[in-house]
Amino acid sequence: MGRYLGRKGLIYALTLFVAVTINWMLPRFMPGDPISDMVSRAGLRDPEAAARMQAYYENLFGLDVPIWQQYLNYWGSLFSWPPDLGISMWSFPRPVGDLVMGALPYTLALLIPAILLSWYVGNKLGALAARRKALDNTVLPVSYLLTATPYMWLAILLVWFGGMQLGWFPSSRAYSGNLVPEFSMSFIGSLALHWVLPFLSLFLVALGGWAIGMRNLVIYELESDYSNYLGALGAPPRLIRKYAFRNAMLPQITGLALQLGVVLTGNIVTEVVFNYPGLGLLLLNAITSTDFFLLQGIVLFVVIGVLICNFVIDIVYVWVDPRTRTGLQGASA
Amino acid sequence: MTDMKSSPAGRSGAAAPAPDPASAAPGQTATTDPLGAAPALAGRRRSEMLYFALRNPKVILGLSVIVAFLLFGLLGPLFSEFGPRERNAGPLGAAPSSDFWLGTTWTGQDVFTQLAHGTRATFQVALMAAAISAFIGMTMGFVAGYRGGRLDEILMMITNIVLVLPVFVVVIVVTAYLGISNTATQALVIGLFNWTWVARAVRAQTLSLRARDFVDLARLSGVRTLSIIRREIAPNMASYLVMTFILLFAGAIVFAATLDFLNLGPRGGMSLGLMLQQANQQAAMSLGLWWWFVFPGAAITAITGSAYLTNVGLDEVFNPKLREM
Amino acid sequence: MRQWRRFLVPLAGAGLVLAACTEDVTDDVADGENVDEAEDTDDADSANAGEFPRNETVYTGGAEWGTYEDWNPNTDGEATFVRGFLYETLFWFDPWEAELKPWLAESGEWIEEDVYEVALRDGITWHDGEQLTADDVKFTFDLRDVPGVEFPELDEWLDEVEVVDDLTVRFHFSDPRAGQWDNVLYDREIVPEHTWGEMDREEIPEASGEDITIGSGAYEYHSHDENRARYERYDDWWATEHLGLEMAARYVVDFRNESNEVAMSQILQNELDLSNFFLPGINQVPEFGESVHTFYSEEPYMLSANTASLIPNHDRSPTDDADLRRALAFSIDVDDIVDTGYQGIVEKADPTGMLPLWLDQGFRDDEVVEEHGFSYDPEEAERILDEAGYVDEDGDGWRETPDGEDMELDFIVPSGWTDWELAAEVIEENLHDVGVNVVLDFVDPGQELDPRRDSGDYDLVFDNQMLLQNHLFAQYFYLYELPVLDEQANRDNPHRVENEHAWELTQELARLGTPPTDDPDDDERFMEIVSELQEITLEDMVIIPLWYNGLWSQVNDSTWTNWPSDDPDTPNYYPTTWANEFMLGGLMTFTEIEPAG
Repeated sequence: MGRYLGRKGLIYALTLFVAVTINWMLPRFMPGDPISDMVSRAGLRDPEAAARMQAYYENLFGLDVPIWQQYLNYWGSLFSWPPDLGISMWSFPRPVGDLVMGALPYTLALLIPAILLSWYVGNKLGALAARRKALDNTVLPVSYLLTATPYMWLAILLVWFGGMQLGWFPSSRAYSGNLVPEFSMSFIGSLALHWVLPFLSLFLVALGGWAIGMRNLVIYELESDYSNYLGALGAPPRLIRKYAFRNAMLPQITGLALQLGVVLTGNIVTEVVFNYPGLGLLLLNAITSTDFFLLQGIVLFVVIGVLICNFVIDIVYVWVDPRTRTGLQGASA
Repeated sequence: MTDMKSSPAGRSGAAAPAPDPASAAPGQTATTDPLGAAPALAGRRRSEMLYFALRNPKVILGLSVIVAFLLFGLLGPLFSEFGPRERNAGPLGAAPSSDFWLGTTWTGQDVFTQLAHGTRATFQVALMAAAISAFIGMTMGFVAGYRGGRLDEILMMITNIVLVLPVFVVVIVVTAYLGISNTATQALVIGLFNWTWVARAVRAQTLSLRARDFVDLARLSGVRTLSIIRREIAPNMASYLVMTFILLFAGAIVFAATLDFLNLGPRGGMSLGLMLQQANQQAAMSLGLWWWFVFPGAAITAITGSAYLTNVGLDEVFNPKLREM
Repeated sequence: MRQWRRFLVPLAGAGLVLAACTEDVTDDVADGENVDEAEDTDDADSANAGEFPRNETVYTGGAEWGTYEDWNPNTDGEATFVRGFLYETLFWFDPWEAELKPWLAESGEWIEEDVYEVALRDGITWHDGEQLTADDVKFTFDLRDVPGVEFPELDEWLDEVEVVDDLTVRFHFSDPRAGQWDNVLYDREIVPEHTWGEMDREEIPEASGEDITIGSGAYEYHSHDENRARYERYDDWWATEHLGLEMAARYVVDFRNESNEVAMSQILQNELDLSNFFLPGINQVPEFGESVHTFYSEEPYMLSANTASLIPNHDRSPTDDADLRRALAFSIDVDDIVDTGYQGIVEKADPTGMLPLWLDQGFRDDEVVEEHGFSYDPEEAERILDEAGYVDEDGDGWRETPDGEDMELDFIVPSGWTDWELAAEVIEENLHDVGVNVVLDFVDPGQELDPRRDSGDYDLVFDNQMLLQNHLFAQYFYLYELPVLDEQANRDNPHRVENEHAWELTQELARLGTPPTDDPDDDERFMEIVSELQEITLEDMVIIPLWYNGLWSQVNDSTWTNWPSDDPDTPNYYPTTWANEFMLGGLMTFTEIEPAG
C-alpha cells in the first residue's frame, strides 16, 4: 500500500514539476510581448512615459532579473503563503490569486455535484439496466446518445429550451442582478436557479458514460467464472449481484480519475455558453486578453486540483480494493 | 507501473484502455479485456471475425452512419451551388424547406452547404489527429511493453505525466500561444496530446503477448525485435488497434469541435464546431433559428455515437463472451 | 453504497453554499464610510442589505470592455459610470443641438481672446459633505502635466488656471483652441482636492481601489466584482435642487458580459433594462416592439455613434496611390454590408465621413461632394484603374501595379468580430470583381491587429475611431494629425497620411467654435476651412467612409419606462452608458426613466 501510494506520489510530483516548468516557460518563450501590449493599451503619447511604465511593470511582474532567477523566484512565490501568482493584467491590479479564488467556488459548485451525482446515478442506472432487460433497452440507447453529445451542444439546447422556450431558468450569470453575494436564502435560491442549466449540461453527458460502463461491467462480472460457480453452489442471485456490483465498482473508481479532464473540458464550454463566472470563463478571458499571468495561475490551479483529485481517488481505491491493502498490488499506475 | 500483468482477477481494472479523455465515454471499453480477447483472436481465422462483424447489428448500424456522413462530407459539397460562407444564398434566417433543406442562417448562408463542408473538415481533422495519436500511442506502448526495463519505466513515466495533465486545458493554452491557422496544425496539436491511454493499453497488450509461446519461439530463433513486433505481435492485436483507432477518431471529433467552438480553431473555412460557434455567437437561440444549431450538433452526436456503437459491436465480435448478451 | 448516498446529496448543495460564503468575503468590499452609512439606513428599514428591490434597480450593460478595476477618473479606461455617476464634468454636450449645456458649471464664456471664465454652481457638495469649489477645478486642471493623466496635450496650450473666488475660475491660454477646449469641458471630470491632493502628484495616475470614488455625482460606489459594478443613489445630489432632476432608480447595476450574444437573452428575459451591446437581429426577435425597443422603431433603429471606414495605408505601396484608393471607394457595395451584415441597424456613411449630426448642421459642402464624392460603381472603379495603369498584363486575372508588379492587398480583419468579418468578405468579393487581389487576414484583435495597425503593418484595415464629439476638429484630427510616429498606438491618423497643409487647417479649425458663434468672421472662416478639408479629403481619398456604427442601444421597458426614443412623448437623449459618450446625454437618460406600472 505504501509503495503503491509512494509511486503515485512520485508521478504526481513529477507532473507538477513539468506543469510548473512548462507553465513558466510558455509566456517567456512564445511570440508576443504582454507588457508592451499593456503599455500600448494605456495609450501614453509620451514615449518617455511609456518607457517608464514599461520598466514599472517589468519590475512589478519580476521580469527585470536574469531568466534563471525568474524561474527560481517563480517556484519561491508558489511555495510562499499565500501563493503569489502575480498580478492580472486583464483585471489590473487585482492579484491573480484573488481572481482565481473568486471564480473557483462557481466552478466547484458545478463540477463536484456534476461529477459525483452523475457517477452515483449513472452507476445505479447501469447496474439496474444490467439486471432488467426492459430497462436496458431504454437506458442503453439513451446513454449512448448522452455520452456522444458534445457539451456545448447540450448547453446550447438547454439555453434554447429551458431558457428561451420555457423561460423556466435564467440562461446566463450565476445569480440575479439585484443581489449582492451574502449568506441569505434569496441569494442561495438565486444561485441555485442559475445553477440548474449549466449543472444539467455537465451532469447529463457524464451520466450516460457511467451508466454504460457500469452496465457492461456488471454483465461481465455476472458472466464470470466466480459468479457461475457461486450460482452452481446455490447462492441467491442477490448475493451474486452484490459481488458483481462491488467488483464492477473498482474500474469505475479509476475511471473517475480519468474523467476529470473530460469534465473540465465540458466545464469550460458550459461556462462560456452560460456566461457562468467560473474558472473556464476566466481562462478564456485570460486568453483573449493575452493575460499570461492570469493564464498561468489558472492552469497551475487546475493542474494542482487535478493532481489532488487523482490522489484522493487513489486513496479511495486503496480503501475500497482490499488487494492494494494487503500488498497484492491491485491497481497499477 | 509494471505490475499490470499481475492483476489477479485477470480483469481490466485500472489497466483497461481508458476511454479517450476527450470523448466522454467512461467505461465504454472497460469490457474490452486486453488479456482475454487477444489470445482468443490469435487462434481464430480472420474471415471468421469478419463474418461475425458483418452480422453484428451494432457494427452494421454504427459503420453505416459513419460511412453515410463520410459520403455526405465528400459528396455533399458537390450537390451545393453555394459556398459554405456565402451570404444571401437564400432568404435570411429561413426555416428548412424544399429549397433549403436545412434552412439558412441569419445572413442567408445555406445550412446544408455548411453542414456538408463542415462534416468534411471535421472528418479530415479527426482522421489526421487519430492517426497521429494512434501512431504515438502505439509506438510508445509497443516499445515500452516489448523492451521493458528502464526504457519501459521512462516511457510509462512520460505517459503517466501526460495522462494526469488536464489535456484540454493544455491544448487550449498551446493553441492560444501559437494560434492555429489550419486543420493540419489543429490535428497535430490534438494528436500530440491525446495518445496516453493508447500507450498504456497497447503496452499491456504487448506485455501479455510477449509472454506467450509463439513470441518466445520467434525470439529464440533470432528474429529481430522490430520484425517480431511487426509480424507476431501487431497482427495479433489488430482487432484491438482497430477499436482503438475508432475511439481516437470519435474523441478527436469532439476535441476539434470544442476548440472550434471556443474560436481557437483554424480561421476561415467551415467545421461543425464552427457552425455551433457562429450560431451561438449570433444568438440563434434568441432569434429562434433552431435549425442553425440543432443540425451541426446532431451531426457530431451521430458520428461520435456511431463510433462508440461500432466499438462496442466490435468488442462483442472479438470477445465472444459478450456476444450472447 | 449506502454510505455514499449519505454524503453525496448534501454535496450538491454544499458547492452552492461554498460559492455563497467565499463570494461574501471577496466581493463585498466597499469604502468604509459609505458602507457604514448604507448599513445604518438598511438596519432602519430592516431591508435585506444584500438584495436590491428589482423595481428600484436599473440593470445596464455594454460599456465595460475591461473589468471594473479602474476607478481613477484622471486616466483613460475608467470603469463604467466613473464619469458621470461618481465624478462629473463642468458641462455636458447635447448632440441634437450641437452645443454645450452647463452642468457643474453654471455658465462659461470667453471673456477675452485667450481667457475663458467658468462660474460654478453654488452649494455643490462632494459625497463626503465637503464643498466643491474653484480650488477643486484648478487642482484638477493643474494635473495636466502629470504623465499618464488624461489630456496631456492640454499643457501645450493651456497656460494657467486662476481662482478668482470660490465659484469662479479663469483659464488663461497660450493658444486658445475654442473648439478643442469645449471637448475638454465636457470630458474632464472634476476631482476633489481634499482627497487627491494628499497623494503624491506623480502617483495619481496609478491610484486604484474603491477608496478613490468620492465624487459629486448622483450615485455612490456600492460594490463590484469582475462581472458587475453596483451603484447606490446619493440623495443629496446638487442637481435636484439646482435643476430639479431626480434619479428614479435607487440602484444601478452594470454588467460585463463575456460576449455580446449573452446580452440578447438577458434583454429578452428582462435581466437587462438598458443594453449597449451590439446585438444584430434585435429588430427580428418576437419581443421587438413589445417589451424590447430601440431608439428608432424602424430602420436604422440606432443613432449613429461613429464612422466605420476602410483605412488604406498611406505609407505603403500601392495603397499610397490616390487613384487606387479612389478605385477602391467606387468598387465597394456598402448597401450590401448594411443590408446583410447589419440587416438595417446601421446607416450608410456620407462620403465626407461626417456624422449625421454635422450633416444636420449643414457643414457638408454639397458642391465638393458632387464633384469629388463616390458611390458604388464598379465600372467607374475599373475605368479609374485602367486609366491609372492598373491592368492585368500577365493575364492571371489580377491587375498589376502600374510598374507591372503583382499586387496583393493585405487586409487585416479582427477575427471573431462577426460584423466586420462579414463586411470584409463583402469587400473582398467587390474588389475581386474589379480585378483587385485582396487577401483577408483574420487576426487576433488584441494580440495582432492593434500592434499591426499601430505600426503600419497592413494595406487595408477597418477603423471606427472617428467618434461622435462636440466639434468637427476631432474628425480632422483623426484624419490628419501629425507627426506620424513609428508606433501610432492610441493616436489619430492610423492611415499615416502626411499632409502639412491639411494639418495646419485642422489646427486652425480647432481654434474656432462651432457656428453660429458671436463672431460672424469666425463662422465664415469655419465654413471655408471645413469645405477645403472636405475637398482635400475626398480628392485624396484619405480614407473610405463606409457606414455609421450605431450607438447600440436596446431597452426592455418591463421594469423601467420612458426611455429615450424618437417618439415625441419620450425624451430624445442619446441612451448610452459608454464612457466616452456618457456626457452626450447618457447621464440625462437616467434622470428621465420612470418605474413601470
